Amino acid sequence: MVIVRGLSSRAGTFLLHDVSFQLASGAWGIVLGQTGSGKTTLLETIAGVRRAIAGQIVLRDEDVTSHPIEQRRVSIVYQHSYLFPHLTVDENVGYGTMDTRFVSDLASRFGVDGLRGRPVASLSGGERQLVALVRALARHPDILLLDEPFAALDPRRRIQVRRQLRLMQRESGMTVLHVTHDFAEAGTLGDLAIVLEAGRVIQIGTPTEVFRRPASGSVAEFLGAENVFSGTIQRTATPTSGETDVLHFTGEGIALVGVGEHAGGAGHAVIRGSDVVLAHARSARTSARNVLDGVVEEVLFDGMIARVAIRVGSTMLVAVVTRSAVDDLGFAPGLAVVASIKAIAVHLC
Amino acid sequence: MTMRVTHRVATAGVVGGAIVLLALLALPVGALVLRGGLDGLRELGGDRELQQSLALTAIAATTATLVAVALGTPLAYLLARDRMPAGALVGALVELPLLIPHPVAGIALLLAFGRASPAGEALARIGLGVVGSPLGIGLAMLFVAAPLYVSAARESIARVDERYEAVARTLGDTRWRAVRRVTLPLAGRGLSSAAVVMWARAVSEFGAIVILTYNPKVASVLSYDRFTATGLDASLPVAAVLVLLALVPLLVLRSLRTNQARAERAW
Repeated sequence: MVIVRGLSSRAGTFLLHDVSFQLASGAWGIVLGQTGSGKTTLLETIAGVRRAIAGQIVLRDEDVTSHPIEQRRVSIVYQHSYLFPHLTVDENVGYGTMDTRFVSDLASRFGVDGLRGRPVASLSGGERQLVALVRALARHPDILLLDEPFAALDPRRRIQVRRQLRLMQRESGMTVLHVTHDFAEAGTLGDLAIVLEAGRVIQIGTPTEVFRRPASGSVAEFLGAENVFSGTIQRTATPTSGETDVLHFTGEGIALVGVGEHAGGAGHAVIRGSDVVLAHARSARTSARNVLDGVVEEVLFDGMIARVAIRVGSTMLVAVVTRSAVDDLGFAPGLAVVASIKAIAVHLC
Repeated sequence: MTMRVTHRVATAGVVGGAIVLLALLALPVGALVLRGGLDGLRELGGDRELQQSLALTAIAATTATLVAVALGTPLAYLLARDRMPAGALVGALVELPLLIPHPVAGIALLLAFGRASPAGEALARIGLGVVGSPLGIGLAMLFVAAPLYVSAARESIARVDERYEAVARTLGDTRWRAVRRVTLPLAGRGLSSAAVVMWARAVSEFGAIVILTYNPKVASVLSYDRFTATGLDASLPVAAVLVLLALVPLLVLRSLRTNQARAERAW
């Protein structure tokens, strides 16, 4: 269990301020935020590399706020692996343990057994990250802090390592706090997502909640939402659909009906590109509350998906569709289309 | 056209300036080695006073360097990691001897450790007289050259990212065990270069030593003594041998620095 209460810490002139969250034993927490938002400072303060200037850190039901690093019993893996360059790979992975059998097992699991006799200087960036991960895991940590540890791995290897690590974590009940910029990683691994901005926590929730209902326009943009509009939100008089109110958004030349927990006033409308449904003509059978006429401006392919930019009045709306949908429906610049978006897919914040 | 002329003038200025400075540095050393070098090496075999003087110089400089390494490395670590209260003030105090004229340093040492001082009296009582003894030579060398070691060692330790140490501690090391197992080996080449620089500086010291301990004579004092007692020709072989011996630490230093740069690129 990791409990952080009102934690503040300093890294040069940067201030991590009043951070609080709770991560259950065996859970996988994801820390998200733009560069310079305080993600590494948070991890380092939990590990004891940086001193907390206020607040409390509780690990395994013990207040460790003033404990030195070695007494906190956490392992940390940095993006820049920090392998000891004067030691071989074998000496690095065995640095903190005498359990050679476990080290061999880990080396084999993560595919670094062929590297063990080599000097660190001869390793690639990805290999260094894997060795650093094995070195950290060799200590049998029950709390593991990861600071973008897979950034240098190729996509295929990254998926394999992620899967292997998730498996190990489930086997051992290890608690993981993981800084990443990779949203797929966050969605695949995370039980809890913590979003930082300028040293403060601005949203905590499950990855799905955070991605579907970002707390602000800037969080939505950071999390890769294709459509984020600024404008004014008005509450309707009668709530519908149970927990959430139907709200009306107007701004940037677009009017939308959406949902959210907004009191009204200035705000943002966030729409995932995958929630924008495109068709050649309006359909009487659609249940979508938002039906917009537009013209395709641009089609950009990204692997098996395509981002279709549509001009709707004076604004641009982006739809994410499959490559085959583009071929089948003949989306091309200049084509008139109808974009349908359900009210529930328009998140107002 | 004008740009090309300006470029040529600038190039000529840079190259010319470099040549003038190189000539100023090389000319006296070259003249000394050419005039006294061969004689010096020939005399080295038969001149017992010169041999003893060189041995004394080497032993005193080595001892002073070892003391500086033993006591200065922890100080350099504390300064490099900003773990010393009033670190800026302590850093300035450590570097102060570098700015004091060396005879003045000798006078300061005489006041602090001379027979009339409490420290000097206490040392003399246990048979460790500072004035006119090898101990005085070592002390003078330590005073003027240790700051070079501490400054260079501090820079060398500061270049080792503190996160290496932090990672070692997450792997179970205490702070000092992590320093011993990770930081010092990574700073090793830099620390060795610092020690070599200090040793070379200690060997070449004259001003502070001559005030504290004229006899027994270290090589620099012997060279000065022969110059004043018997003239230029008599002092030349000793001086030339000192210059030739200075090449040894210079070559060691260059090799260490090249290896260090190569190692740091691989980190």
